[in-house]
Amino acid sequence: MTGKAVLKSEPAVYVYEAPVRLWHWVNALSITVLCISGYFIGKPLPSVPGEASENFLLGYIRFAHFAAGYIFAIGFLFRIYWALVGNDHARQIFVLPLFNRSWWGGVWHEIKWYSFVAREPRKYTGHNPLAVLTMHLMLVWGTVFMIVTGFALYGEGTGMGSWQYDWFSSWVIPLFGQSQDVHTWHRLVMWYIICFIIVHVYVAIREDIMSRQSLVSSMISGWRTFKDNREVDDGH
Amino acid sequence: MSLTSTPNGFSLDSGGRRVVVDPITRIEGHMRCEVNVDDNNIIRNAVSTGTMWRGLEVILKGRDPRDAWAFVERICGVCTGCHALASVRAVEDALDIRIPPNAHLIREMMAKTLQVHDHVVHFYHLHALDWVNPINTLKADPKATSLLQQSVSPHHPLSSPGYFRDIQTRIRKFVESGQLGPFKNGYWDNPAYKLSPEADLMALAHYLEALDLQKDFVKVHTVFGGKNPHPNYLVGGVPCAINMDDALAAGAPLNMERLNFVMSRIQEMVDFCNNVYVPDVIAIASFYKDWLYGGGLGAKNVMDYGAYPKVNYDKSTDQLPGGVILNGNWDEIMPVDPRDAEQVQEFVAHSWYSYPDDNAGLHPWDGVTEPNYTLGPKAKGTATDIRQVDEEAKYSWIKAPRWRGHAVEVGPLSRYTLAYAQGVEYVQQQVQRSVAAFNQLAATEVGAKTVLQSTIGRTLARALEAQYCADMMVDDWNELMGNIKAGDLHTANMEKWDPSSWPAQAKGVGTVAAPRGALGHWIKISDGRIENYQCVVPTTWNGSPRDPAGNIGAFEASLLNTPMERPEEPVEILRSLHSFDPCLACATHVMGEDGEELCEVQVR
Amino acid sequence: MSETFYEVMRRQGITRRSFMKYCSLTAAALGLGPAFAPKIAHAMETKPRIPVIWLHGLECTCCSESFIRSAHPLAKDVILSMVSLDYDSLVMAAAGVQAEAIIEETIEKYDGNFLLAVEGNPPLNQDGMSCIIGGKPFVEQLTHTAKHCKAIISWGSCASYGCVQAAKPNPTRATPVHKVVHGKPIIKVPGCPPIAEVMTGVLTYMVTFDRLPQLDRQGRPKMFYSQRIHDKCYRRPHFDAGQFVESWDDEGARKGYCLYKVGCKGPTTYNACSTIRWNEGTSFPIQAGHGCIGCSEDGFWDKGSWYARLTDIKQFGVERNADQVGGTAAAVVGAATAAHIAASAVKRAMQKGDQNS
Repeated sequence: MTGKAVLKSEPAVYVYEAPVRLWHWVNALSITVLCISGYFIGKPLPSVPGEASENFLLGYIRFAHFAAGYIFAIGFLFRIYWALVGNDHARQIFVLPLFNRSWWGGVWHEIKWYSFVAREPRKYTGHNPLAVLTMHLMLVWGTVFMIVTGFALYGEGTGMGSWQYDWFSSWVIPLFGQSQDVHTWHRLVMWYIICFIIVHVYVAIREDIMSRQSLVSSMISGWRTFKDNREVDDGH
Repeated sequence: MSLTSTPNGFSLDSGGRRVVVDPITRIEGHMRCEVNVDDNNIIRNAVSTGTMWRGLEVILKGRDPRDAWAFVERICGVCTGCHALASVRAVEDALDIRIPPNAHLIREMMAKTLQVHDHVVHFYHLHALDWVNPINTLKADPKATSLLQQSVSPHHPLSSPGYFRDIQTRIRKFVESGQLGPFKNGYWDNPAYKLSPEADLMALAHYLEALDLQKDFVKVHTVFGGKNPHPNYLVGGVPCAINMDDALAAGAPLNMERLNFVMSRIQEMVDFCNNVYVPDVIAIASFYKDWLYGGGLGAKNVMDYGAYPKVNYDKSTDQLPGGVILNGNWDEIMPVDPRDAEQVQEFVAHSWYSYPDDNAGLHPWDGVTEPNYTLGPKAKGTATDIRQVDEEAKYSWIKAPRWRGHAVEVGPLSRYTLAYAQGVEYVQQQVQRSVAAFNQLAATEVGAKTVLQSTIGRTLARALEAQYCADMMVDDWNELMGNIKAGDLHTANMEKWDPSSWPAQAKGVGTVAAPRGALGHWIKISDGRIENYQCVVPTTWNGSPRDPAGNIGAFEASLLNTPMERPEEPVEILRSLHSFDPCLACATHVMGEDGEELCEVQVR
Repeated sequence: MSETFYEVMRRQGITRRSFMKYCSLTAAALGLGPAFAPKIAHAMETKPRIPVIWLHGLECTCCSESFIRSAHPLAKDVILSMVSLDYDSLVMAAAGVQAEAIIEETIEKYDGNFLLAVEGNPPLNQDGMSCIIGGKPFVEQLTHTAKHCKAIISWGSCASYGCVQAAKPNPTRATPVHKVVHGKPIIKVPGCPPIAEVMTGVLTYMVTFDRLPQLDRQGRPKMFYSQRIHDKCYRRPHFDAGQFVESWDDEGARKGYCLYKVGCKGPTTYNACSTIRWNEGTSFPIQAGHGCIGCSEDGFWDKGSWYARLTDIKQFGVERNADQVGGTAAAVVGAATAAHIAASAVKRAMQKGDQNS
């Protein structure tokens, strides 16, 4: 019945600027490398034969982890910078309109939509409110936690006097009690981010199919296209 | 009240003057002692109180049995390793794990190294100042000291007059500084000290030599267990794998160099026991030939589980066989079974714990402990400022273990009594040789029983046991090399490492001849976790308060009828108590099933 | 007056010339001009040994036992020549009132000028009477003595963190020193026990340089606790190569491979075991084939099995490690997603049906 009203689509909107799109895909790649290498740092592969001097398996795995970690951290810093200088959409996942009643109404509507209670999704130029909430809580804070604890653990190896130690290890380790706890929580939050990724990938594809706007293609082209020409529900 | 007779044959008189010694120093942990002396300054009543409690058994509940050894090892850092050994044995017993012969030999060497180290440190650094007066050394003639040294122990290389003069000079400077350090406020003008200045100087020189050497003895632990104090153990064997001539042997835990290193340390122990420790004890004892007090319970009831099997898991090959002797009857040795619920039981009538029925005893597998700190009506002072305890009520953090209701003494003297009575040839020869040497130096004609059943006898048995252990280690090392030569490199049995291979319910016992006496750990395992863990340790036996029947323990019994030169200076009390080498952290870690009720831990 | 520092150094084979050089270096290190070197020399030639009171709370005496194992300096030289160990219930000749009198005398004579070494910790449950000294709770003796000392050395993990008696559920409420004593410098020397030469090293540093060692944020001397055991472990090449002991007494164990997979806590433990090593450098736990159990770390008793790589997380009720918790969460999310896909597909099919009808 809604479908009958659709005659032509509204003009597309340029939502994701190139730096945001670049960050998104670089970040996705670095998280993938981090999770796989991290998993095998905690649970190493079976021993390799031969002389120690001829092998460097865990060394390479750790190198991959650290390199991806730097990319992950620098990308995140860059992303914060772009949140400041980029368009409105670039800021969205960093600042929650916590005191906006209608935004919370939007969160509630999305929950109903995903619970198959609401018959129709709302229409958004940017992220829908539930997506913003999830990305903020899981991705943004998960990333902050992983960067801070990651550098704290890395700083243990670079040692006292290194900037990683001084900026991170020196206060993070005592805060948790001991290094072992930081390792444990670093791994636990890896799983937290993996949970986010599962949901994120699924929802992006589902929305692409079932919502009233484009999703996956937008993160490639930057343009949000719409499937109907009614008013959008967000201020963006 | 004043006069009472205990069921185990001691008379107590709580009249007269009460003397309180708190803290008892030069022991592991914290302890208090109160005695009553009569008009002639003879001790007629003795009350010993364990004054610390840590609750380790509660902490163990619900943990992985394979981890338990490290927790219980921390019961005591002096007899370090013996609780860990009892623990891995208890777990292996519960899960029916048999360790490889090499692992057994390595554990034996570690246990015997501990015996030698602990006995040496006890004698020279905790006990010697009860017999030796360091200030008196200033009067000694170094030349005469040198002659004394050469006559007591002709093979000891450090015996020149110059050597003793240097030490005397150092002590003089130390004393003249006015900063007496550990010797401060000692009882140095007390006539209870009987050594000649030369004997004092010789003993003090050995105090310093022993301090230097003991750090080398424990390196056997460092090689096998990585560190000392608190070397590492492993359920199922030992963690130190052997690699003799394969690639990468140099980085392996055990290789030719490491085992040679161990042998050198063993040789040092053998030499020190032969040339210094045993001769010193005999020489010092000869000056105290008229002070054969302190036999107490050791002259009547003694107990040990038996130790050092030539063939592992075959108790009949124990090189220090166990058993119980009651009422001084050396002709009848009763067998001990730590699993029998009727044999080993603990009582709390006079301990700061409560049972459902305070007068009943409980076997360790069923151990219940709930702390209940109260002072009796006759106690003086307040709950947090005790002036005098009331021994008719609860008065110690130590429980009272009993064997079939009998208070028994444990320790090197008990083991030596049992070994001597059971005809262990090495032990009989050692004792006879020592008693002959004592008689020669002291110009007396006393028998083995007279010497052994005293405070001096307890100290002598400890020295002889150290010597025996050092000698046994040479055999162990040779046997290990024989096994390796025959191609056996195994050090651990991992068949039942994974908890999924364990039965849902299991219980086991591990016993060890700890330096201070018979040690037992009882464990119950449920679904791969510790359900209950109880340790009955030597100082719990010896330092036990009275039981419901009124039997007194070994500490209290040893003090009775001893005359004191000056009641306000507790030299004689310290002397007899130290002869047991009390270990209070061991004795008072205890706490059982219902303990959690107390645990209202307020997190700051 | 017994031997001064100078005499000790001379006796240990240091020449007068090196001694004077040492004094000028010390002056420079303290930020003082060269004119102060002779004054330092004078002080070192005449200064009395600093009094030390060594208290024992709830403990197992492993710290004292470790201390006497020191090879350089020898324990006897520390006690006879470097400090004046006026009270230590483990070794002192006196007992009872004669022993307790020494504490009061030291406070009176050296108020603010003696070192307080603490082994073990005070329990606060049972009115503090789970550890009684002279009929009174140990915590009273500790706080009273601490009020008058110059600085406190917390020996071992008991005094520094609580150690085994403070492991859950901590039935006696054993409490580390820094939580009952305030307003005094506290140097934590953790370990169960600490390495002997680390203990005497910290003490001789303080006596020789007359200042506290540099401490990290947790109050540990940087000189011995700034690096993990893993960082200088001789088995580290096998870690990087990916060569591990997979099970006890296997091929890897005999070749000295890395113990990481059988739970070694070397990568998370700050201590000098792999550098200074134990008992005069004889060995250390990893060399002897057992992984590090992390005994110098806060709360190491409650971080899961010695033999597990991923430690338990007690917050989740049943003990589970990060992979079990996280893996379960990811599986649940994955299953929920799959269910949601199915439900969405059904709904879409129904909607299409609606539209088509």
